[in-house]
Amino acid sequence: MNIHLKTAFNNIRRSPFQALAAVFVLFVTFFVVSVLVIFIYSSHQILKHYETRPQVIIFIKDNATISEVDALRSKLGGDLRLKKVNYVTKEQALEIYKKATKDNPMLSELVSPSVFPASLEFSVVDLSYAEPVISELKSESIVDEVGYTASLGGEETLTDVVARLRQIAYYIRLTGGIVVGFFLGTSLVLMVVIISMKMSVRKNEMEILDLIGATAGFIRAPVFLESLLYSVTGVLSGWFVSFLIFLYLTPSLTKYFQDIPILPSSTLALLGFFGILLLVELTVGLLLSLTGSVMAVARTRKRK
Amino acid sequence: MLKLDKVTKVFGDIIAVDDISFDVSDGEFVFITGPSGSGKSTIIKLILRQIIPDSGEIILDGTNLASLKNKEIPKIRQKMGIVFQDFKMINERTLRENIEITLAVNKVPKNEWNDRVMHIAKLVGLEKRMDLFPVQLAGGELQRGALARALVGNPFLILADEPTGNLDWKTADEIMELFEKINNEGKTILMASHHLGIIEKHKKRVIELREGKVVADSAVTSGHSGKNDEKKSAKKEPAKPEDGKDLKKQ
Repeated sequence: MNIHLKTAFNNIRRSPFQALAAVFVLFVTFFVVSVLVIFIYSSHQILKHYETRPQVIIFIKDNATISEVDALRSKLGGDLRLKKVNYVTKEQALEIYKKATKDNPMLSELVSPSVFPASLEFSVVDLSYAEPVISELKSESIVDEVGYTASLGGEETLTDVVARLRQIAYYIRLTGGIVVGFFLGTSLVLMVVIISMKMSVRKNEMEILDLIGATAGFIRAPVFLESLLYSVTGVLSGWFVSFLIFLYLTPSLTKYFQDIPILPSSTLALLGFFGILLLVELTVGLLLSLTGSVMAVARTRKRK
Repeated sequence: MLKLDKVTKVFGDIIAVDDISFDVSDGEFVFITGPSGSGKSTIIKLILRQIIPDSGEIILDGTNLASLKNKEIPKIRQKMGIVFQDFKMINERTLRENIEITLAVNKVPKNEWNDRVMHIAKLVGLEKRMDLFPVQLAGGELQRGALARALVGNPFLILADEPTGNLDWKTADEIMELFEKINNEGKTILMASHHLGIIEKHKKRVIELREGKVVADSAVTSGHSGKNDEKKSAKKEPAKPEDGKDLKKQ
């Protein structure tokens, strides 16, 4: 075994409770980080779901010609503020109605396609564009009515839902950032304290190494490896436990949110998501141990 | 090999080393002696570059230690072997690991470690103590271990600061025999000691200090070079350790 790794393991073995304290704090930190990242991802997905579904609907006057409808359609298609422009014919509108009233067939039997107006549905790139777009479209000659899609309960409900979701997503990110920052800070301080304590015990060894010609890197290597072992153990355990909890909760979450894709849809995408999360956490762990060991060595040398 | 030229070191109001000059040649065995506070340990620390002289030059193997950059210090220390009065062994490591650490520091390939460590262990007579920890060893064994650690890196200069200071007369004598043996192998030794009995017994070059100044140098006063006849003959036909290996070939 590499001499530095052996020294690092020996240092851990000699003071197991200090090592356990470091690993436990890092475990809690990376567990919280994983849970918050999943939360932020899911809230973002919910927001995206509501923001990207058809939000505005234009009811076309019955006397409008096909060429007029096409002209409006291509005008909307060229507007950079809008996306997913979709034309719904009278027949398609009836189908939608039939689907919505399938529990009561009597209701659909009594209507014909001529009752329903043809419509154009679209969503806006940003919800703030909705109001000006609606007022612009109201002046179009073939437009009967313009409004927010009724699928979310109408104008007020949609704006309320999106505004609330945005606020929730913002607070999740803000609180998440503060909590993660707090936990990472605590872990760093604890790591510096624990490594410094261990280094004070090894002061004699460091002095001897210095006298026999060991470079700063040689003296620092076991310290860095030791903190890296704490970080890697903390990251892996925190990530693994959050992954297990997530897998356990997946069926309930999918059932509750139904068509809102709060989780990556396929197993491959899910593994990819958690793989990226693990890589990012390992990088953060690496930086944490590097910073912690450099700070601890500098602190001990300063005291000398 | 080693040249101190008008070296002065002051600590506050105390002049620890005052305008000292002397040379040490290849293969020499030099005692630096004098009462406590005369500057013996300061000279060792200056050569080790633990401290920087206020004036003067210390040239070791062509390098001026006074103007050495911090990152170059480890390299120069790797060329020296150091033995201290308090042994300075790492208590958490076995004797073998204490010796191996020098090899690791000097970046010696790991496959050579065992041969080199066992060779040195035989030379200092500790081959059966290698897996013991420092607390399990006697004072003389610790000092022999420290000497083994100093030698295993094959340094061209051995610095010893009062290596017999913590030992009884018999053990001190055994350690001095070892130093003598190593010197006969061609190693240069600079030893700070106030143990007059030992200095007189070994008849090497003696630099005597008093209040930071050189008051006597046997190389100057009697022409004693510190290289005894035995050593001169050893240079022509090097003395072999028990297993027949030459230290220089490590």
